[in-house]
Amino acid sequence: MKRLSLTTLATVALSASMVGNTFAQQTTLRVFSGGQNQRPDLMRKLFDEYQKANPNVKIDIETGGATSELQRQYLSTVLNAKDSAIDIYLIDIVNPAQYLGAGWLEPLDAYVGGPNAMKPYLPVYAQANVVNGKVAAMPAFADAMFMYYRKDLLEKYGIKEPKTWDELAAASKKIQDGEKNPNLQGLSIQGAPIEGAVCTFLLPYWSMGKAFNDGAGKMTLDKDAAAKGMDIWLKMVDQGVIKKNVAEVTTPATVNEFKAGQVAFAINWGFAWDRFKDDADSQVKGKVGVMPLPAVAGGKSATCVGGWQWAVSAFSKSKPEAAKLVQYMASPSSSKFLAVEGSLLPTIQSVYTDADVTKAVPWFKDAANVVIAGQARPISARYGEVSDAIRTTASAILARTKTPAEGVAEIDSKLSRVMR
Amino acid sequence: MAFEKIRDPSEKTLAVLLLAPAFLLIALIVVYPIGKLIYNSFFDLRLSGGSGAFAFVGLQNYKDAWVDRDFWNAASNTILITLITVPGALVVGLGLAMLANLPFKHKWPVRLALLLPWALPLSFAGLIFAWFFHTEYGFVNDVMRRLWLQSEPTMWLLRPNWAFTAICATIIWKTSSFMALILLAGLQMIPKSLYEAAEVDGASKWQQFWQITIPMLMPSIVVALIFRTITALQTFDIPYTMTKGGPGNATETLAMLIHKTTIEYLDMGYGSTLAVCMFLLSMVVTSFYLRRIGRTA
Repeated sequence: MKRLSLTTLATVALSASMVGNTFAQQTTLRVFSGGQNQRPDLMRKLFDEYQKANPNVKIDIETGGATSELQRQYLSTVLNAKDSAIDIYLIDIVNPAQYLGAGWLEPLDAYVGGPNAMKPYLPVYAQANVVNGKVAAMPAFADAMFMYYRKDLLEKYGIKEPKTWDELAAASKKIQDGEKNPNLQGLSIQGAPIEGAVCTFLLPYWSMGKAFNDGAGKMTLDKDAAAKGMDIWLKMVDQGVIKKNVAEVTTPATVNEFKAGQVAFAINWGFAWDRFKDDADSQVKGKVGVMPLPAVAGGKSATCVGGWQWAVSAFSKSKPEAAKLVQYMASPSSSKFLAVEGSLLPTIQSVYTDADVTKAVPWFKDAANVVIAGQARPISARYGEVSDAIRTTASAILARTKTPAEGVAEIDSKLSRVMR
Repeated sequence: MAFEKIRDPSEKTLAVLLLAPAFLLIALIVVYPIGKLIYNSFFDLRLSGGSGAFAFVGLQNYKDAWVDRDFWNAASNTILITLITVPGALVVGLGLAMLANLPFKHKWPVRLALLLPWALPLSFAGLIFAWFFHTEYGFVNDVMRRLWLQSEPTMWLLRPNWAFTAICATIIWKTSSFMALILLAGLQMIPKSLYEAAEVDGASKWQQFWQITIPMLMPSIVVALIFRTITALQTFDIPYTMTKGGPGNATETLAMLIHKTTIEYLDMGYGSTLAVCMFLLSMVVTSFYLRRIGRTA
């Protein structure tokens, strides 16, 4: 009897320890998934699917930070403190090099099989996510700056899609003169000192066929060309095509004013398309066209590429599980889901031509070319400084507190120390 | 023996024992962080793009700061904001306090109105006033347009001097209620009999104000000035939310530069150096005030 009870006890203990084990295998992953523009609602749906397939994983989601800079500041604080609370986080395309340099993210080579894993992705995303031969993060979804325009207004005045900045200014002028609406802007760009102003600085410069940096990250700024680029915007301000207080215009301001029907042409990110098409207060439903950005005469159209990447925190206590989830989120099926449900641009070429995707979002067919032709903003481990120097100076030039030549010289002297 | 000592400590031991927790707490939350800050300021602690070696660099960071145009720009902006907003808030606050001290039938609505701007978080105030001063959607330009004061809308936050003015006005609005609260408490301490005696002697209201109110209020004014000056030297939220330091860096303060250097640039060493400089600036100003108090006391 005594022996039996001992055996029973042993069995109970064993099964208890097994139960304990299954509890130990239960992993909770905490994910920082950006702000509302990064569609945490859709990410949650993907996480729910993943939880169903992997019952031992529980995923908590954390959101915050309306802009890329605010998210960067939040993550800097958390990661600088080596906080293990966040396992996975979503970062802007400009950040993998900086985060790897700071030792904040876990290189994924061991989990995904090295840089070869980046083959299916568009080149610009493969480039941004492989830093010093290491896979720093995996692409979540793409974004790029597009030229949105009012189809109805262009038709009304018999204007074709402008191919150069001069044509665009002339087209805007024609529409503004014809409409006689003092609140109608010809073109809306972002001039406030936000991340978008980095693109505002680079777009006309790139469209002259110039590069800001070489493959190794060394700055190759052509100062004259960059000053000329800013002059293109200032000339449009003088012509009344761009509004005078452009240095106050943020990304949401462009979206809201275009939605209100006060803008003929607008440069903005891909996410804006859904806002124009779906938002209840949009006055321009069904009247919006999208096209590649104009260039200078004799130059070539270029756009600013954005987009978001999944990274595993270097301080995570469940790195293998986190890496597995990141692979799932970067897979073609997840990409397709985000494209169909939220018109988030895929980072994988094959998804653009997927039948379900082209049916749900027909404009992706053309968008693919814009994204492929897109350029990445300077890749630097000190991107915080690069971005700050460009955006504050570009904004000051547009506010006319600095001349283009002065401003460009300032960017040059600041960044020649940072990007060498 | 040792046990006896603890059970029945001498007065000196008892004092040490009783003070120990407070000392420990202060060491933990004041001495250690400031010590660490000063220690860090002698190192190259760039988290991104640095050598990664976190090397000791001696006074190099301080030498860099000495020739850093951004540092001097931020320092002079900070001092200018302090010089404008501290006296500004004192004058407005004193006016508000004297208003609130009038014999109203119901005192609470006045007191509540005094408290509200103070209770509002700084960044909210900044965001609200950023909209007030917005070129197209702003309340300020709308009023000026209706009054025919301007033909073209003023770009308040895009012109360095106007942006500075707008920020100072916002800070004065936000902080004068705190001044008023402290001064109101001081005003209520002044005995009525002094004014009655002055009245009998034939002193005018103006004379009463300068000869009675101001001297009697001096201790409260000094306290309010110290608090206000220290927070003015740390100005961050309002310019950050209104202009982000723009246009260019025309309205960037020291606290904003420190935040940018550490959080955006991830340069902990140089950021610490700038913070030490700001700390020294606050120390100099505060010790000046404290010496003055010593003299008046």
